[in-house]
Amino acid sequence: MRSSEGLIAFALGCLVAGSAVAEEPAQWLERMNQALNSRNYDGTFSHWHGGQVEMLRIIHRMQDGNVSERLASLDGSGREFIRSGATLSCYLPDKRTVVVEQRPAQEPLVGFPAVNQQTAEFYDIREVARTRFNRRDTHVITVTPRDAYRYGYRLWIDDSTAMPLKTQLCDSHGQVIEQIVFASLTVSSHIPDAAFKPEVSTEGFQWVREVHPAQLAPAPDSPAWSAMRLPPGFHMTVRQAQTLPGSSQPVDHLVFSDGVAFVSVFVEHREVSLAPGGAAPQPASATDDASEAAAVGSSSAFSTVVDGHRVTAVGEVPPETVQFIATQVKATGTAGAVHGRP
Amino acid sequence: MNEELDSQLSAMFDDELPHEECELLARRLSRDEGLKARWGRYAVVGAVIRAERGVRLNAPLAGRVSAAIRTEPELERAVPAVAARARLGWWQPALGGALAAGVAAVSILWLRGQVPLTTVPVTAQRAPQALGNDPNPYVTPRLVAAHSSPVPSTQLANYVVAHSMVSSPMARGNLLSAFITSESSAPEPVKTDLAGNAK
Repeated sequence: MRSSEGLIAFALGCLVAGSAVAEEPAQWLERMNQALNSRNYDGTFSHWHGGQVEMLRIIHRMQDGNVSERLASLDGSGREFIRSGATLSCYLPDKRTVVVEQRPAQEPLVGFPAVNQQTAEFYDIREVARTRFNRRDTHVITVTPRDAYRYGYRLWIDDSTAMPLKTQLCDSHGQVIEQIVFASLTVSSHIPDAAFKPEVSTEGFQWVREVHPAQLAPAPDSPAWSAMRLPPGFHMTVRQAQTLPGSSQPVDHLVFSDGVAFVSVFVEHREVSLAPGGAAPQPASATDDASEAAAVGSSSAFSTVVDGHRVTAVGEVPPETVQFIATQVKATGTAGAVHGRP
Repeated sequence: MNEELDSQLSAMFDDELPHEECELLARRLSRDEGLKARWGRYAVVGAVIRAERGVRLNAPLAGRVSAAIRTEPELERAVPAVAARARLGWWQPALGGALAAGVAAVSILWLRGQVPLTTVPVTAQRAPQALGNDPNPYVTPRLVAAHSSPVPSTQLANYVVAHSMVSSPMARGNLLSAFITSESSAPEPVKTDLAGNAK
C-alpha cells in the first residue's frame, strides 16, 4: 500500500475511516480490482464448489512496485503457491517437489475482467443492496447475464477497502456454482518478508525449473479455423498455435470472449484409427458422432470431430455454450495469426 | 439441534440466511469438521437433486494424482534443472505468459485425476440453427445426452489448463484454489503454524 493512502490496518469488525467515492456498480468492480492488486492484505477464505468447502489463506503485498503473493491450503495437502515478482513457486510437500517458473510480474492472479460498454450489452451490472456482511458495510454488485450463454457473478464489496468479502459464480438461474467467502481479512501497511516463506521445509525436495520457449505461429499452409456463428457478444480475440503434452503436432488454439467469459477452442488433426479386428488403419471420417461433454470444476467442455480434426471447446460458461461454439468451428482457408490479449 | 443446523445450512446454501447468522455459522464451519462434512453432503445432495453437472464427491484423488505423477517423466525423475527445461516446454503459456506454467504444470496432474469423474457423453449435434437467423438470439441450444467417450481425459485436462492461461483472472484464481485443495494420500508434511512454530 502506498503511504499516500494512509496506514490502514483493520481486522474484520473494525471499521475503517475513509468511505468510498465510487457510485456506479462498474466503478466498484474497478475499485475492487485495484484493491486486490495494490493493497497489502492477509485473509482466510472458504472456497466452495461442487459440495466441498475448503479453507485457504491468501497474503498479498505490493511493495516498491513488486508484488508478493502467497496462497496456501489450510486444510490438508500443505500445498502453496508463492509468487515473488516474476517468480512463481508451487510447493507440493505431498510430492516433495517444488515447481518454479518465471511469469510477467504485472499479471494479476485475482480480479474481475474489465467492464466496458460492450460488456454492459450482455450483462446487467447493478448494485442490488447495501448490506452488512461480517460486520462490515458492503455493496452487493450483481453481474447478471442477459441470456443463458454465460454465467453471472454476485460480489459483496467492502465499502471502505473495496475488497470482495464474498464472491459467487452463478448460472443463468441464479444457482451458485462456486463461492468464495472471507472469514477474516486484514489490510495493513506492512507485511514482513517472513510471511512469504513456505510453511514446510523444502530440504530434500526436487526442484523443477522452467523457462519460456518461443511462441508458435500457425503454419502458413495449415487450415485457418474460425466459428461460423457465435453466441451474442462473443468474438475471436486470439488465434495461436501451441504444442500440448502428448502431441507432436501443434494444436490450433482459438479464444472467443464477450469481455467477461472466455471460451477456448482447440483444433487438432485426428490420427487414423485401427478398424475393428485389427484391419488396416482407417482415416477418421469427415464427421462422426464422436462427441463428448465434460465438466471440470466450474468449466464446461465439449469435443467433436470436424473434417478429420478434433475440435474441443472449453470455458467457464454453461455446457450449451461450449457445445454451440465447438459445432460452429470450421476450416475457412489458410492460417493467419490473430494475436491479442483478451 | 440437528434440525436447526440443517435448516441453517440449507438457508446458508441458498443464500437466505441472515448475515449475522451466516457469519456465526461460517465460523463454526471453519472449526467443526463434522459440520463442514455435513454441509458438503447437503450441498452434494442439493446439487444432485437439481441435476447440476460437475458434482464432485469426496473420493480421494491421491491415487490418481500419484498415478499421474508416475506417468510424468518430468516430475518422476530428479533431473537437473537445465535438462528439465526442454521437456517442460509444453507447459509454457502460448500467449506471451498469461499464466504461470508452473501453475499449469501442477494443475494438470490434478485435472488428470478429475476429468474422468465428471465426463458426460452426449450425442453429436449439428450446429443449432436457431441462432444465426433468430431475431431473438438469447436462446441456448439444448444439450442432449447420449453415448461415446472419444477424448482421452489427459488430453481434455491439457485443454482445460491451456484455457486457464487465457481466461479471466477470476477463473485462474478458481483453478488455483481448486488445485491447491485437492486431496492427497501422501504422508502429512511437517506442519507449522503461521508463525513458523511446529504444531
